[in-house]
Amino acid sequence: MNDGPMIKDETVRTLSSGQMAWYRFKYNPSALVGVFIIISVIIGAIFAPWLAPSPESAGAHVDFLNRHSPPSGVYLMGTDNVGRDIFSRVLFGYRVSLGLVVGVLGIAVPFGVLLGLTAAYAGGWTEWVIMRFTDVMLAIPPLAMALAVTAVLSPNLVNAMIAITLLWWTWHTRLIYRIAKGQMAEDYVEAAKVSGASHVHILFRELLPNCISAIAVKTSLDAGFVILFGAALSFLGLGVQPPTPDLGTMVSTGSEYLPEYWWEALMPGFAILYVILGFNLLGDGLRDMMDVEL
Amino acid sequence: MSNRILEVSDLDLSFTTYGQRTKVLHNLNFHLDAGERVSLIGQSGSGKTVTMRTIIGTLPMPPGKVENGSIRYEGRELLTLSRKQRNRLKGTGISIVLQDPLLSFNPVLTIHRQMDDIVRYADMRNNKSRSRSARRSHIIDTLKKVQLSDGEHILGSYPMQLSGGMRQRVLIGMSLLNNPRLLIADEPGTALDVTTQQEILNLLNTLVSEEGLTLLLITHNLGVVREMADRVYVMQKGRIVEQGTRDEIFASPKHPYTLELMNSVLPLYGDKVVDVADTHHEENAIEIRGVNKIFSRKIGIIRRKTEVNHAVKEVSLDISRGDIFGIAGESGSGKTTLAKILLGLHKPNSGDVTIDNQNLDGFQGSTEFRKTVQIVYQNPGSSLNPRRTVADQLKVPLKFTGFSPENYHARIEELLDMVELPRSYASMYPHELSGGQKQRVAIARALSCHPKILVLDEPTSALDVLIQNSVINLLHRLRDEFDLTYVFISHDLSLMRNFCNRVAIMFRGEICEQGRTRDIFANPQHPYTRALLSSIPVITAEEERLKPVVSKAERDAVLTTTTELTD
Repeated sequence: MNDGPMIKDETVRTLSSGQMAWYRFKYNPSALVGVFIIISVIIGAIFAPWLAPSPESAGAHVDFLNRHSPPSGVYLMGTDNVGRDIFSRVLFGYRVSLGLVVGVLGIAVPFGVLLGLTAAYAGGWTEWVIMRFTDVMLAIPPLAMALAVTAVLSPNLVNAMIAITLLWWTWHTRLIYRIAKGQMAEDYVEAAKVSGASHVHILFRELLPNCISAIAVKTSLDAGFVILFGAALSFLGLGVQPPTPDLGTMVSTGSEYLPEYWWEALMPGFAILYVILGFNLLGDGLRDMMDVEL
Repeated sequence: MSNRILEVSDLDLSFTTYGQRTKVLHNLNFHLDAGERVSLIGQSGSGKTVTMRTIIGTLPMPPGKVENGSIRYEGRELLTLSRKQRNRLKGTGISIVLQDPLLSFNPVLTIHRQMDDIVRYADMRNNKSRSRSARRSHIIDTLKKVQLSDGEHILGSYPMQLSGGMRQRVLIGMSLLNNPRLLIADEPGTALDVTTQQEILNLLNTLVSEEGLTLLLITHNLGVVREMADRVYVMQKGRIVEQGTRDEIFASPKHPYTLELMNSVLPLYGDKVVDVADTHHEENAIEIRGVNKIFSRKIGIIRRKTEVNHAVKEVSLDISRGDIFGIAGESGSGKTTLAKILLGLHKPNSGDVTIDNQNLDGFQGSTEFRKTVQIVYQNPGSSLNPRRTVADQLKVPLKFTGFSPENYHARIEELLDMVELPRSYASMYPHELSGGQKQRVAIARALSCHPKILVLDEPTSALDVLIQNSVINLLHRLRDEFDLTYVFISHDLSLMRNFCNRVAIMFRGEICEQGRTRDIFANPQHPYTRALLSSIPVITAEEERLKPVVSKAERDAVLTTTTELTD
């Protein structure tokens, strides 16, 4: 290893790690774009009733006079087969997407992290059982699993969420397991044991803080995929049911009118692209900033 | 001047990180003539490695930038050469031996593949072509130069199958493949045991005289410099502060920094050696009786074989209260395993350990035990949790030994005072502290619940010499103040000579010799102890004279050679 050129001119002030991270983030244009996209989506979703040009489009509104109108000044993204404003529906659709993200990741991430930490720390049989169970869950094709769950229960948003959650924790378990397992060889874990620290202390005070940055990066990258997966379920008719606006359902309905009324499928498609791009850019930015490997 | 190999003049180099430009090399001037052995010395962070990487052209630019100056190799300016021309010099003109023999190899390729690539690509760059077998015999010839006669065998091996010393030899062989004129060695052998390091240094010396190489040696170890260099440049903070022939520098160092470096090297023999007095406690703090530790693990899937490693063999020791008891040995000698047994982290397969008059069996794991024995680890970088503040880490032992929470704050301040750190450091994270400061925090943590015995596992080996001495002084002071007993584990015998009152030398799991430090060093009995002592590079002629002299035959009888494949 090289010692590193750590000589500083006297005039140079030393940067704290926070400042360094912020510097890396600031000079990472894609991360800034990502943040901008996410913020715009969140604002759009929260204030949808006020921002949407025609809030009534969110429901079972019908306006046959204006059906299949192409994008224009009045209808930014055009209207659909019953004359509802697609732009308004996209804004309301983001509410569903973000709700899905919060619901799925809010349960899957803590659960996966806990299992990963436990497996790495406990070792032996516990480790074997947890990790083999994770492997089994990983081996199930996600779409088949989701189809099974929503078919057994009834197809709606909550059940779609359950289906995705059932699959999602595994990735976090594997990631955290690997990081925590690496830490187990570090002297500070042994030092804590020598000091008589309890299991809970070692798990949550020694191991967990070192996993936080990886969790943050993974979660922000995941958010995009959860939205995509939710949209895919809705597209297949297994997720959100009409007339609730959902991006996947909108693409599905709109695709029947391709190619003449292209905006009806494409515009919601772009909306999905936009938000996923945002989460991915943010995730990459965080990864560079916090210097973690996934 | 025809025989000038390398000339660096007025070199200024800066780094730009986070928008701030920092100058790291200031007006560097030095040169090497053909056949010379020149050494660049300084502490970590003095710019030695940056200088080396600038010369061979592997310093990433940006962030690095040469502001000014020139580097000439045989009169040709290197800094303005094109990438291609510069690459052509690699290996054929200037070659390098890196510090860590394990990290320098690709673990999944055979030695042959890795060496052959070097020859092949050099041939391609220089528009030569040789057959595969011609290259192979060239490689085997080169391995002979580094005294590896069993070339065929070595070429078929993977790096992990070779010992550390042998890997270092192969690495040197690699750098010689294309007949370079200048060899740059970055801390050669530092990662190896002292006996192996000795062999590597001898080899480099032989190569310089026999192959007509010119050697640029980069090191922080003055003992190595004394054995290896004709001329010396001393670097501090990116500047060359003193230069001269080796004898000039060692006889009459002029710059205060050089003096400081010289004085910080602990003497092995002579008047300057500090004898640590015995404390006159009769009772034993630790009694170890016939302890064995065997690690076995099952390998293979179908026909499961058991691989057995007898790490500690029949060890018996008495450590009196107040002793600073040194346990010396090379890597793999079982000293760390013994330490972990003392801490109750490994259970011995047989034998008894009594600590503070209580048998370890029932004692370990209790709060009382934790208040008796604590440990300071080798690497403060890994023994402190990077994501927790100093105060948080000091709190852990307090919390789990029944300290009442309202006293935490006062105790933490007291601990920081004890290790001479400002109280404001409590809220800092480890990466904001220097290596020495981190180690002080680790010592404070170990002391936080008033232990009687501290196990020090190479507490200073990750630190620079100057900082090492301040930590040692701190440990001495703390022992006097709190009547502590130290079990000091190290491979650094010079340090042990000046820090411990009793030592035991461990060799392949056994204690081969133990006694008062002064007696052991003055009159070592066991051939291994003698070989060990004779290998330590020292900085004065007087010490050289007082070291035990060990013949090659005597040495080979106890040490495994690094020139032949075992097994």
